[in-house]
Amino acid sequence: MLVTLVLWLNTISNSIAHILLAPIAWLPGWLSASLIASVTGIVMLFVFKQTSNQSALKRTRNQIKANLIALSLFKEELRVCLRVQLTLLAQAGRLLALSAVPILVMAVPMCLALAQLSLWYQARPLACGEQAIVTVHLKPTINESLPEIKLTPTSAVDVTMGPVRVPASNMICWKIEAISRGLHDLTFEWGEQIFTKELAISNSFLPVSRERPSSNPSSMLKYPRERPFAAGSPVQSIQIEYPDRVSWTSGTKSWMAYWFFTSLIAAFVARPLLKVDF
Amino acid sequence: MKSRREPKLSRRKILSGAAASAGALATACWLGGCNRASRSLGKKVIVIGIDGMDPRLCRSMMLAGMLPNLAKLASAGSFSNLATSMPPQSPVAWASFINGAGPGSHGIFDFIHRHPHQQCAPFFSAAETLPGEGSIEVGDHRLQFNFPPFSHTLPKTVLRRQGIPFWDELDAKGIPSTFYDLPSNYPPSPSHYGHHRCISGMGTPDVLGTYGTYQYFSDDSPSKGLEEGGGRRSKLRFIRDSAKTTIVGPDNAMLKTPTPTTIEMSVHRDRKSDAALLIVGDHKIMLRAGEWSGWTRLDFKMSTPRPLPSQSASGICRFYLQEVAPHFRLYITPINIDPSKPAVQLSEPKNFITDISNALGLFYTTGFQEDHKARSNGIFNDDEFRQQATMVLEERLTLFEYALKNYEDGLLFFYFSSSDLQSHMFWWNSDEDALHPTRTTPEAASRFQYVKDLYQKLDGIIGDLDQRYGSKVTLFVMSDHGFANFGRQFNVNSWLRDSGYLNPRETTSVLTDVDWSRTRAYGMGINALYLNLKGRERDGIVEPDDTAEKLTKQLIAQLEAVRDVNGQQVIRKVYRSSEIYSGPAMEFAPDLIIGYSRGYRASWETCLGELTPEVLLDNPSPWSADHCADALEVPGVLFSNKSIRSPQPSLTDLAPSILDEFGLPTPKTMTGKSIFQS
Repeated sequence: MLVTLVLWLNTISNSIAHILLAPIAWLPGWLSASLIASVTGIVMLFVFKQTSNQSALKRTRNQIKANLIALSLFKEELRVCLRVQLTLLAQAGRLLALSAVPILVMAVPMCLALAQLSLWYQARPLACGEQAIVTVHLKPTINESLPEIKLTPTSAVDVTMGPVRVPASNMICWKIEAISRGLHDLTFEWGEQIFTKELAISNSFLPVSRERPSSNPSSMLKYPRERPFAAGSPVQSIQIEYPDRVSWTSGTKSWMAYWFFTSLIAAFVARPLLKVDF
Repeated sequence: MKSRREPKLSRRKILSGAAASAGALATACWLGGCNRASRSLGKKVIVIGIDGMDPRLCRSMMLAGMLPNLAKLASAGSFSNLATSMPPQSPVAWASFINGAGPGSHGIFDFIHRHPHQQCAPFFSAAETLPGEGSIEVGDHRLQFNFPPFSHTLPKTVLRRQGIPFWDELDAKGIPSTFYDLPSNYPPSPSHYGHHRCISGMGTPDVLGTYGTYQYFSDDSPSKGLEEGGGRRSKLRFIRDSAKTTIVGPDNAMLKTPTPTTIEMSVHRDRKSDAALLIVGDHKIMLRAGEWSGWTRLDFKMSTPRPLPSQSASGICRFYLQEVAPHFRLYITPINIDPSKPAVQLSEPKNFITDISNALGLFYTTGFQEDHKARSNGIFNDDEFRQQATMVLEERLTLFEYALKNYEDGLLFFYFSSSDLQSHMFWWNSDEDALHPTRTTPEAASRFQYVKDLYQKLDGIIGDLDQRYGSKVTLFVMSDHGFANFGRQFNVNSWLRDSGYLNPRETTSVLTDVDWSRTRAYGMGINALYLNLKGRERDGIVEPDDTAEKLTKQLIAQLEAVRDVNGQQVIRKVYRSSEIYSGPAMEFAPDLIIGYSRGYRASWETCLGELTPEVLLDNPSPWSADHCADALEVPGVLFSNKSIRSPQPSLTDLAPSILDEFGLPTPKTMTGKSIFQS
């Protein structure tokens, strides 16, 4: 049930992202990361406004202000100060409670959006001539030996080493070398069965699916681009070790922090324009 | 109203302040730029330091037409032997080059010094790590904080080379100087005026704090592992062709009892594919038998007491899968300090090496890059060592290309180590001694050919330099010493024992079981001999008067009289330090320096004071050539595209010559003279 739901959500988010995030492919990384973070910040603010009780939030904030003034006026009165501080604590809790609904409303879309953004920023595609390790994870069996799965070289990708079979971990690895740019399919054959995995080769931005996941909801959310393998499939997942993208704004290690801070700044800037209390 | 006026005033203040700041900044930048601007007036001097390049071999190869570019340089400019330091050991020689003066000025007399107050406790001569002071204890941890209110002193490594390096003179005059991998300069000495840049070379440690410790994993290693000089062996136990092990990192010095940090590594081999998969932390590395990986970053986690954030020490290494089956053999290079984010200062200024790493990627940073220990300990065979040394050279050539691209004027120094370490392993001149102690004559000849091939490669580099710059630069190609066969080894402590100077007869090491009350002299390091002098050594017995003088004369006469079984003189000359050294840094100078004849060297055991039953032995090590002989036996080379006037140029003459090229006088601290002046 949950698997079907996530699959359905991924299908929708992939379709939307295919259109909305398409400019990332031709914009500079810093610009696309900044634009997306700013727009999401403003959208989040708008959704917050629509889904929150603005008058209650405003009232609570005013009460907090009043209590802060009271605190400075009666700082000599210990009992008053204590009472005001308790009230402030309660009002902060109330602010949090009033934000719960919008947070709940935005949680799932934000997770889906971040998963889509990670396709672009979490890793970079292979450059032509660059090598990477591909790992096929198999369903655990009681057999000592692993199946004879073949990875066939194509005009887009060469298989330079492998397979290295790891029976102890039920996995098989190959080393591949990128030959021509574009989104390609790696094809793995085991007898009559064929398994595929998308491979991105480019010197610029392309969506990079690092893993074709198993039918596990959390893996599916994390790697939304490719259809998961069925629960009964002998192949459970296929991973490609893509290189890190190095950039302060759109790089592997920092894109999420950059997105978070930039969207926060955008929300603060837009707040008086949209007249939102939070 | 007041509250409205204030922001306007404030904005004006901000704007005028910003303008003033911008002006001040621009002025400062301009002034700074002026200060940094080169005052070499376009003068270019390039020094190529080729460690261990030998003049005899150069001459014979030039005569045979095998070094056309060096021959061209010699005929258009000059070529000469370059007198080296005594002893002709690299740290001593390069420090003499740096100071333009001998060991008495820089205080480095051997690879290893001894501490007289601790009765010959040995330490490395070029750098020393000083322990920190003060700490607080939290559970199993002992922490040091160098900020108030704690103000603990953190441990630090200090350069022991004393005196004034010649680039200080250039620096003070605004003449830029850049040194790539300069030996005897770790930690790098500071630039006082910002015109000097340097990457430390020989003497730079790995992350373990050693001169290079490889790690070797195999299924036929001793079951408990083995620590051997320069490396560590670990046994792999495969189950279904998978094994788990750990890569050992630096000690966690934050623990009360420092213990090594580790990273888990799983090894999976596929005999059919003749390949293996290594999973090291988050990294997957797939290698075929005989294949090297690229540089891999390793982060060693260091435990800290909660709630302090965890710490890590990072390093870089390369993996070499030597064999998959029947025996699995995996070699990991010493874990080098990461040049892209060095944990300790490797260059002056600090960002010099990170800038290079940003441009070139990762590279070796340890002082000894060719892993001679792996060859000596049998981890590598000759071909594997040569392959690794060639990789190092290729990396150096990439760095050299970077150095030339970023060179405008002033002094450029670039160091090549391959000629030294490959010669140690492959040199054998059969004209001097037909029989190699461990190799057949054809084998020895084929290995010697590797050295000649390397000389030819280096000759090509000089040719390239000549094409690029021609007469627009003053070019020096120099080496710190030459080379000689090392077929026989002499244990000076065993000789002292047999001659009655060191007791008792059963002594196995001067560090453990010598009777100092009956010992008058001892050896420590490669060429050094010390008297057990009263008042200087903790347990000294030799009175520093006529007794010491008489003993010195006796030792010199007897050592120079030592003959090998074939009647050959083992020691060419024994030098008194008081006669050959002068200067303010004599504290650790030995009393006598032994100058071996060609073909001989101090025995391996001698270096750290161990004794062997026999005094003279064959050298069974793949390290079959050396230069720690008498300085007159192993001079270096000096090529220049300018005429040299000095009839017998010396290493100490190069610094004054370089200064002379920039129109600067020779400082009083230098003993050398410009080779361009008669």
